[in-house]
Amino acid sequence: MGSRRYDSRTTIFSPEGRLYQVEYALEAISHAGTSIGVLAKDGIVLAAERKVTSKLLEQDTSAEKLYTINNNMICAVAGLTSDASILVNYARVYAQDYLRLYNEDIPCEQLVRRLCDLKQGYTQHGGLRPFGVSFIYAGYDSRYEFQLYQSNPSGNYGGWKATSVGANNATAQTLLKQDYKEDCTLAEACELAIKVLSKTMDAPTLTSEKVEFATVGKDKEGNVYCHLLKPSEIDALLKKFGLAKKSEDDEEQQGTA
Amino acid sequence: MDVIIGLTTKDAVIVATSMAAVRGVSILKSDDDKTRVVAPHTLVAYTGEPGDTVQFAEYVQANIQLHGMRNETELSPPAITSFVRSELAKSLRSRKPYQVNILIAGYDTATEKPYLYWVDYLASSAQLPYAAHGYAAYYTLSLLDRWHKKDISLDEGMKIMEMCVTELRTRLPIDFKGVQIKIIDRDGVRTV
Amino acid sequence: MSDPSSINGGSVVAMVGKDCVAIGCDMRLGMQALTVSNDFPKIFQFNNAFLGLTGLATDVITLSEVFRYKVNLYNLREERKIEPETFANLVSSSLYEKRFGPYFVGPVVAGINSKSGKPYICGFDLIGCINFAKDFVVGGTSSEQLFGMCESLWEPDLEPDDLFETISQSLLNAQDRDALSGWGAIVYIITKDKVVKRLLKTRQD
Repeated sequence: MGSRRYDSRTTIFSPEGRLYQVEYALEAISHAGTSIGVLAKDGIVLAAERKVTSKLLEQDTSAEKLYTINNNMICAVAGLTSDASILVNYARVYAQDYLRLYNEDIPCEQLVRRLCDLKQGYTQHGGLRPFGVSFIYAGYDSRYEFQLYQSNPSGNYGGWKATSVGANNATAQTLLKQDYKEDCTLAEACELAIKVLSKTMDAPTLTSEKVEFATVGKDKEGNVYCHLLKPSEIDALLKKFGLAKKSEDDEEQQGTA
Repeated sequence: MDVIIGLTTKDAVIVATSMAAVRGVSILKSDDDKTRVVAPHTLVAYTGEPGDTVQFAEYVQANIQLHGMRNETELSPPAITSFVRSELAKSLRSRKPYQVNILIAGYDTATEKPYLYWVDYLASSAQLPYAAHGYAAYYTLSLLDRWHKKDISLDEGMKIMEMCVTELRTRLPIDFKGVQIKIIDRDGVRTV
Repeated sequence: MSDPSSINGGSVVAMVGKDCVAIGCDMRLGMQALTVSNDFPKIFQFNNAFLGLTGLATDVITLSEVFRYKVNLYNLREERKIEPETFANLVSSSLYEKRFGPYFVGPVVAGINSKSGKPYICGFDLIGCINFAKDFVVGGTSSEQLFGMCESLWEPDLEPDDLFETISQSLLNAQDRDALSGWGAIVYIITKDKVVKRLLKTRQD
């Protein structure tokens, strides 16, 4: 590989004008479980694939790929989970700093930009490696209402109507492009997200062990909510769209009876 | 003995500040402006230790303008007040605190509401329908208690403000060289 | 008169009843003898805990913001609500952190533990020493008057309605004998699954 000479340091351009460490980080992310975000007119949905490594692994009750940042923002991560938790914690603290200073929730884009500035620093200042994570952010603020952003290890970010990160994200992106409808409702967006996710995953059927799901929306009183779905709620949703493991459930029921 | 008074009307805030700049027994200036426009729809009026006042007001003004340029958004009057308060609170426990009393008058274009905040040098703050600092408060608050009502028109507001200034002219022992009056509404800040 | 804890004025009181607690405060914000605002509540809710803050108004505002910050992060990291006992220890350690340059406040915490259902109240001094109490705690410029009122009106195992009457009468009559407190009052009655907030009209002088 001709790239060897420029690998060791993150901050050195190769003769072709590339930053190899950043590209390797992106490569690491393309092996991670897929995450999808879809923007609707009345909310946003995030869905993520959780890679189940072993049956012996204790199924953690807390989310692995979906995190709450503050009252009106959540994010999905793809890449190194340990790197992600550092950045998520940074985002949570920064959101609270802003709230304490201005007595208002931080506008979504400002938080995304602050996190990307941090990520960018690791592609320029020497001695350290970049964060190996891409994010999808879903949030609400009064100025731009519902918003969906995506960021990557280089520190670039952009606003999207529907986007995906992680393994098979090219496939997911094509499917989203095909099936995304402008002005869709949150329910329609949920259906789209779950269908695209099921097609990008290896397994033909989905279970609450393999996917995580979250929505941002407004309740009847017009208050913004961020909701990370519980396993039972995810199973109900999967059943609704006919993607749950029907046969096995039935067998299990028969077995126990 | 600087005078600063503010009062809200249905969709504007009226701020009056005395025009005399006094040092010891001398009046140095009779067209002094004790206000700074910190954002398109927010005005800060101040009294207190000479030097500290302008330094502090221009410091927060610069910071709020920087925030506006970086984020391409205008901070709301409540957000600006919270920022100013926290800067004063930080200063209070420093080696030499700013001794500045402030009124923040603003109009929130998003919610279409006028805002008036009272902030003292200890960084206590309160949102009020009408407010004043210093000796002027002792003479004018009773008048404002009597005449001010929620959702009054700008004309009614101006009449009440005139009553306050007349009272101050008769009661205050030294000439404060009249007041300049600024109005903050949906169109921004203007002098009358 | 330049004592920081009596510049702005204000009072808080909390009481225990039968499977319920109550906490109340006045609404005044003053500068010495001048009343600046009659809409300055001093009770803040943090999940299952209620915090009453009296003393220097600037520190009341600052601390309410600090605790909002800390409790929000607690909620995200622990993925559960904060309990009154836990919150009381958070208040204590946060205040002691500023041992040699303290916040001039007299905090009071009240709430019901969502797991055990046990009522909990306590008070603090300005550097965070916790005063555990089984009956009532008081704070602010009318604390002496409040002690007297609570001492004579409070009795054990009051039902929510009777507790409301007891705490309201204690607060109202105490602040009528204090020039720096009054101008309205707020009382919260907290039971395991319900919180009732009542605004009390009082004399405006």
